[in-house]
Amino acid sequence: MTSPLPTVKSAAETSANTEVTRPAKTSGERPASRVRRHLPTSPWLFAAPGLLVVAVFILYPFVSTVVNSFTDRRTLIPGEFVGLANFRELLHDDMFWTGLRNSVLYMVGVVPALVLLPLLLALLVQKNIPGITFFRSAFYTPVVASIVVVGLIWVWMLDERGLVNSLLEAVGIGRVGFLSDQWLLLLSAMAVTVWKGLGYYMIIYLAALANVPRELHEAASVDGAGAVRRFFTVTVPAVRSTMVLVAALSSVAAFKVFSEVYLMAGPNGGPAGEDTTLVMLVQRTGTGLTGRVGYASAISVVVFVVTVALMLLVLRADRKEDA
Amino acid sequence: MPISRRALAAAAAIAVVLPLSACGSGGDDSGSTDASGKIQGSITFQTWNLRANFKPYFDGLVKDFEKKYPGTHVKWIDQPGEGYADKISADAAGGTLPDVVNVSPDLVAPLAKAGLALDLDKAAPKYKKEYLPGAWASHQIPGMDGTYAFPWYLNTGPLFYNKGLFRKAGLDASKPPKTYDALFDDALQLAKKSKGKVATLANVPTIEDFGRYGAPLMNKEGTGFAFNDAKGVELLTKYKELYEAKALDPQALTATPESTGKKFLTGAVAMNPGSALDLSKFKKEAPSLYKNIGITDQITSTGKVNMYVMGVMVNSRSKQKPAAVAFAHYVTDAQHQMEFAKKVAIFPSTAGSLDDPYFTKQDGSDETRVRIAAADSLKSAVNYTPVLFSEQMKTELRNSVAKALQGKESPKTALDNAVKACDRLLQQQG
Repeated sequence: MTSPLPTVKSAAETSANTEVTRPAKTSGERPASRVRRHLPTSPWLFAAPGLLVVAVFILYPFVSTVVNSFTDRRTLIPGEFVGLANFRELLHDDMFWTGLRNSVLYMVGVVPALVLLPLLLALLVQKNIPGITFFRSAFYTPVVASIVVVGLIWVWMLDERGLVNSLLEAVGIGRVGFLSDQWLLLLSAMAVTVWKGLGYYMIIYLAALANVPRELHEAASVDGAGAVRRFFTVTVPAVRSTMVLVAALSSVAAFKVFSEVYLMAGPNGGPAGEDTTLVMLVQRTGTGLTGRVGYASAISVVVFVVTVALMLLVLRADRKEDA
Repeated sequence: MPISRRALAAAAAIAVVLPLSACGSGGDDSGSTDASGKIQGSITFQTWNLRANFKPYFDGLVKDFEKKYPGTHVKWIDQPGEGYADKISADAAGGTLPDVVNVSPDLVAPLAKAGLALDLDKAAPKYKKEYLPGAWASHQIPGMDGTYAFPWYLNTGPLFYNKGLFRKAGLDASKPPKTYDALFDDALQLAKKSKGKVATLANVPTIEDFGRYGAPLMNKEGTGFAFNDAKGVELLTKYKELYEAKALDPQALTATPESTGKKFLTGAVAMNPGSALDLSKFKKEAPSLYKNIGITDQITSTGKVNMYVMGVMVNSRSKQKPAAVAFAHYVTDAQHQMEFAKKVAIFPSTAGSLDDPYFTKQDGSDETRVRIAAADSLKSAVNYTPVLFSEQMKTELRNSVAKALQGKESPKTALDNAVKACDRLLQQQG
């Protein structure tokens, strides 16, 4: 039986002007020459809108940032090529090292919590019992809330005269400077990130847990494994890939943290700027009428390199585990 | 597929080459200073957080201008107070800066350096004599010739205080502190009596505080900062005492104008600078505070208060320069500044306006008493904000002050470091 569709050889053959098998001509069919002319480019035409968006909004800004990092460009003044001067200056900039330290600390503090807590939460709400949908929705609500609103609410709660301090004072502990102490500020911001991210990663874990065969749990139970044992020997190995994914996603997000710290520590980055993160430093250095775009671009390049390195590290660790 | 590879290569080349095209000196591509010609065409006028309270005034102003100059059209836009500099920055970088822009001297400096602000000494010298000499000079940039904005309104800004909190601390609420020494004494007493629960101030000292305390801000040549002298160190040492006694709010190191405003509203802080517009806010949001509100002048130990100057700049790349200059002058001329001053507690920068009976003749009301006192203080007021003091410099000073208050550095070391950092940024600005 003859196929109603034209048989097309490989793309390479087509591009080398090789013949396309001509189908039997039937009334209403498009001429084969037109088909031949359009086939090689049509995938690109379909992809063009997406590629254009990527080129304009991702590729161009990225290349532009890299190029700017080698110039002394300012907001309103085009820069001159300065070689590696911006990167050399970074090495001697105390605020850069403060930013790097805080971004790393943020990652170290937030990632373990965001890998483990959502998994436990997912296990809690996994069971189909009456009313569980309410709890799933409740845990997910912070994810859809605006980060600005969330940040402001937490600032009100943690203020010297806020809800938390009033409670602490009522029980005799006294007021705690959540928003005035350098380290407590960073911890408070981490708590907001974890609280806001729990629901998002919980959903990812719920999807992964749904794929864990029930028989494995049943077999483990028959063998006498308790809930904790089953968690470590059945659940964790079954969702390990998802945990790696969550670790990768949350570590990149944590390293690039901006909103939470900005909202809680203020635009200055906490007392004496000690809570500044790298992305906050980029914003503070590169914006405004006298912004140092070249220098801020150099910091951005460092953030990019570290982020890519983190991703590679996590993926490599995952591959090693698989091997 | 050869075509695809070529397309990819071309895209990659464009992506690399386009940003490179941004490099280089850029040359002098500022617009010409010639603003002669027929006043016509469409222009855009941008104000700084004025629509909410003065929409009818500006609508009328625009309408009258269009009537006076047929063939002109003014599009009025207003931007919020927060992030105003960023908005101007984005517009300037993107080539979408409005034709006429409401600016302050520190905002006009980088725009003038980038060739985006029209030099009025060349484009509109005939108007110079209409303004107070000091006000006209406020938009001149050290190291550059010319004047880059019409002076608009002047203000000293009131200092609000909570009379109830003063009374509770055993202080005379009718005699608020006027000098820094009096302020420090009252603040320590307020903190002591409230057992550290009520601070007097919620902000760390700014460059203007150093100026009003009597520290020199820049050297005589205007080429470097000098607020790390003995007076500056003395001021910071006093603030450290306040911080340790909780007379300065514990969250002062991370405060923003918005957060300090809220603390004042809730009675956590006894004094806060503001504007005349704040009174209606107090009335609406904190009636008990409104009943106890006291208004006084800025704290100063030099006898001179800080004068805030607003200006109206003309974009040097405006396509309708004659209309833009005419409108900027129209907004800031004596008649319209006087009209505006009668709507809100600001003061005209035009010559002779402050001699108007409105600013000199008592009528027995508190409002007039405050207005006349403020107008009088303006005669000796100083704009303590150095024109070249950028946002990055403010951050450096703020961080150094915070380190001193926390005891991580001595006041002297902290200020030395701040001056060093600000000087470096000044050099980089060119």
